[in-house]
Amino acid sequence: MILSAAYAWILPGLAVLAFCITSLFGKNLPYKGIFLPIAAALLGFIFFCLIFVDFISTGFNPSSVSIDWIVIDNLSITWGFSIDEISILMLGLVTFISLLVQIYSVGYMSGDPRISWYFAVHALFAGAMLALVLADNLLFLYFCWELVGLGSYLLIGFWFEKKAASEAAKKAFITTRLGDVGLLIGIILLFKATGTFHIPSIIHAAQEGAIAESTLMWSSLLLFLGAMGKSAQFPFHVWLPDAMEGPTPVSALIHAATMVVAGVYLIARMLPLLQMVPGFLTLVAIVGLFTFLFAGIIALVMTDIKKILAYSTISHLGLMILTLGSGGLAAAMFHLLVHGFSKALLFLGAGSVMHGMNGESDCWKMGGLRRNMSVTGITFLVGCLSLAGIVPLSGFFSKDEMLLSIYEGLGPIFLFITLVGVFLSSLYMIRLFCVIFIGEHRSEGAKSSHESPRVMTYPLVILAIFGTVLGILALPLPFGDFEGLGNFIDSKHHFHLSPWVTPLSLLIALAGLVIGYMCYGYPKISHHLVALRFGYLYKLTVSKFYIDELYQWIIDKIVLSAARFVSIFDRVVVNDTGVDGMGMSVLLSAFKVRLIQTGKLYNYGAAMGIGIFFMAVMWILVSN
Amino acid sequence: MEFLSFSNPAGLVALPILGCFILFFIPGHRANLVRWISTIFAFAVLIISFYFFLSFDHSEGGRQFIYEYEWLSLIGPWGESQRAISMSVGIDGIAVTMVLLTGIVMFTGTVVSWNINVNNKDFFILYFLLLSGVFGVFIAYDLFFFFFFYELSVLPMYLLIGKWGSSSKFSSFERTKEYSAMKLTLVLVAGSVLIWVAIIAMFVQSGTGSFHIDEIQKVIPDKFSSEFQSAFFLMLMIGFGILAGLWPFHTWSPDGHVAAPTAVSMVHAGVLMKLGAFGIIRVGMTLLPEGAQIWMPLLIGLGAVNVIYGALSAMGQTDLKYVIGYSSVSHMGYVLMGLGTLSLVGLNGAVLQMFSHGVMTALFFAVVGMIYERTHTRDSLVLSGLAQKMGIIAIFFTLAGLTSLGLPGLSGFAAELLIFIGIFQSYEIWGIILGSLAVIGAAITAVYILRLLSKVFFGLPDDTLPEYLDSTRREKFAASILVIFIVLVGLWPFPFVKVIESGVEPILLQIVGAG
Repeated sequence: MILSAAYAWILPGLAVLAFCITSLFGKNLPYKGIFLPIAAALLGFIFFCLIFVDFISTGFNPSSVSIDWIVIDNLSITWGFSIDEISILMLGLVTFISLLVQIYSVGYMSGDPRISWYFAVHALFAGAMLALVLADNLLFLYFCWELVGLGSYLLIGFWFEKKAASEAAKKAFITTRLGDVGLLIGIILLFKATGTFHIPSIIHAAQEGAIAESTLMWSSLLLFLGAMGKSAQFPFHVWLPDAMEGPTPVSALIHAATMVVAGVYLIARMLPLLQMVPGFLTLVAIVGLFTFLFAGIIALVMTDIKKILAYSTISHLGLMILTLGSGGLAAAMFHLLVHGFSKALLFLGAGSVMHGMNGESDCWKMGGLRRNMSVTGITFLVGCLSLAGIVPLSGFFSKDEMLLSIYEGLGPIFLFITLVGVFLSSLYMIRLFCVIFIGEHRSEGAKSSHESPRVMTYPLVILAIFGTVLGILALPLPFGDFEGLGNFIDSKHHFHLSPWVTPLSLLIALAGLVIGYMCYGYPKISHHLVALRFGYLYKLTVSKFYIDELYQWIIDKIVLSAARFVSIFDRVVVNDTGVDGMGMSVLLSAFKVRLIQTGKLYNYGAAMGIGIFFMAVMWILVSN
Repeated sequence: MEFLSFSNPAGLVALPILGCFILFFIPGHRANLVRWISTIFAFAVLIISFYFFLSFDHSEGGRQFIYEYEWLSLIGPWGESQRAISMSVGIDGIAVTMVLLTGIVMFTGTVVSWNINVNNKDFFILYFLLLSGVFGVFIAYDLFFFFFFYELSVLPMYLLIGKWGSSSKFSSFERTKEYSAMKLTLVLVAGSVLIWVAIIAMFVQSGTGSFHIDEIQKVIPDKFSSEFQSAFFLMLMIGFGILAGLWPFHTWSPDGHVAAPTAVSMVHAGVLMKLGAFGIIRVGMTLLPEGAQIWMPLLIGLGAVNVIYGALSAMGQTDLKYVIGYSSVSHMGYVLMGLGTLSLVGLNGAVLQMFSHGVMTALFFAVVGMIYERTHTRDSLVLSGLAQKMGIIAIFFTLAGLTSLGLPGLSGFAAELLIFIGIFQSYEIWGIILGSLAVIGAAITAVYILRLLSKVFFGLPDDTLPEYLDSTRREKFAASILVIFIVLVGLWPFPFVKVIESGVEPILLQIVGAG
């Protein structure tokens, strides 16, 4: 037990230290201080390997440690770190991808005047994300949850001179913040019921029946709301496609592999709690399933390379949520890992393409790029096929486990609808690949495009290799007591294949590939005709079902109008009428009262007479 | 010469007054000398307030650094009383936090006021006078002097705004600085009248012939009936509430903030509004515990109105200073809600929020002052893309904004979190409803702050505006001090919480005991 949770805080600590030094003094350091965050990421990865080895050698012993942050009365808020199977998996994903993305960024961001700020915020994000997956209590988790949101905000808005970037950053923060309102209320409700923020204690209390049913229901719902915001589930999905305004490596790290899966992670952590609420997991599954299909359809018609990947991310997050809804903790976490690697690979590949195309991101202006950038092309194909779920790539294994879990947990109807999504998934993936890399050059830029430097292609190769071999983690080792990753995460889970689900899903994925290739790679079917045939539907889909417009309308017409109404009400009614009116009434009555002072003796005499008369009457009344 | 001791809190009042005297004898045209002397005095006060904070022993708790001087004895039905009116000073856990806040805001306010060129000697004299009053309120344990200092901290505002302030003109209406100064003073004086009546009533009803809080406190169970407490707590709550920005008596505050010069806005929103909340604790909750129990549900409800109403109003504004002015109304709502929970956690959060909001809003106003000085406009519809030319200023504003919307790691989160938990734990189902409203208020804050950031700082700069210069060293220095405290409290609030707890606990025990 050399490196237990007692030292786990070093992981985020290093990153945060790198953030502080680089953001404050980056400009004065050699190479603008960008080596510090990279060094922190490298040390973090090495540290993860040590923890991992240690964890395995001590026989999977979860451990935890905490420091008091605020203690008042019976309220104790701690910064607690714990290491168990799920956090190990997340640590591996976060440290590895963030290291690769930072190395890649050296090439991608070279020459940017604010490069040290870029790397500093990367380090801040990594630190917060690492702390998030290590947190053993909900409040500390929320603390980091908001900080990763900050990292995302700052990096989406990195090129803040661009109007679109600053708008997108704002939209991302506010949309996720809406979910976070729910999350925080949910956390406090659970605290109110149990007197603790500690996750295992809360789950224990729930299983003991110490939490009232209504509280349990509400807090589950509110926690789920938070997860929906962060993981871009319908109807909170709108921020993620816009977030693509940030630099592409940021999209790879934050908006594909790590931050957006925080919601999935939260649900995975709280799954025993959610299971206590009758029927709740079905709701989770329905939200996931709807998002899976909804985003998949939109991904099919987008033309911007990064937007396609963004919708694909939303779609796969939905798939993970759906799997969690079926109770498949192990399968969902496995896909989280696989998707993280594959999607990071695809985003970095997209970045490489855009780098070679001088920033062009419309894939209909590309075409035939496989001749100009072969490394990017091959690695991109690996990523696409993996996410399409083609054997023997890792995506095949994770998808298979998820489908089995959905079938066993939710029944055949859910399975068949999910298979539609699987078809969509492989269809838009192959479409993306074909349009970019196959066929003729569709523009001058495509003709003159070039392969990216090695500092960018090597991370692609590494990710592609991992994307290929990660799948075998699903299989039990023939020796030792490792029974596959699923079993590692959830000891109840055992790897198995189904005689008909596995071939069927593979067949459907292959069908998607073939049809996609026939449409876009080797034109047998004209996709223009398809679009024309379903013109109305096509327009609806391209406009993303007008969800963004709906939100804009709500903000402009309802929220801002309410704000304007309140501010005018405050000025005109409360201030000008209430406050000034009171002042004016004093002034006016003073004018009136002034008239009594006429200066004429007989007026005063009359007033005096009346006064004496009334006093006399009162005297008589009182004395009787 | 015991009273000259370094640990005599009266020094906090005396030192700014001494500064006034010295400034009085400096020729007005020697503007730089005036600046330096003011800065040195403000720095000395900052050091002393630090000293009090660091040497305050929270494990012992209660009131510390006690000094007392007889001032006047009164003869009445109670015979010749001791401590009739005495200059009794002392500092408890709540006051020491507020003293530190005042020290910080006073010093940074002095530093940013270096740019005042018109009669800066008179400005600093009034400014110091105002602050000596503020310190006096925090340390006084005698109701007479409490009220005396309370008035002293309100009245110089009239001159400061009237002379060094600025008027604003909008398309449909205008707010002259004279109007704002007049309204501020009259409304606050109206509040003072309520407070003074309540104080006299308590003095008479107690029959001790003493204005000392301890003397009155001794006879609460015997002399103060529930009806008496109920009637006069309401009076105090409204009287102090006016200064704390309690809805619907808040309209003096945004107009006042906007009209005031930068440093005065900083003190005004940063410290002065806290006097109101402090008064509710020090006078209301301490001396009328049963009254507090009766009226706190109303306070928490009005606080919730403050939070939501203030945040929505802030969203509807276009002038930067109005946005921040209304955000102060909204944030003071959290303080009032925290007081209204009558729980250790909630009260602790309220006092921490007073500190946090004080530092944060001081930073806000300092930064807006810097922007106004360079661009000569505060209209968010005109300004755009400032981040490109004023990077450092943009970072400071962003930090203040993130604190305002309750980002973890910055002071606002720690304070608001305690308040939220306090609200949720009190008042059964209403606690949950009001607590949810409070959390939603923080989300609305995020909306208007981020809109403002995006509009004013991001995007491309407007070329028709003059070439901007980024902040000077002096400005960076002042803003950095505020940032350090924001981050410190945000990351490590425990020392503050422990100090505040030692002050809040005895007051709360008394209220719980009374009910």
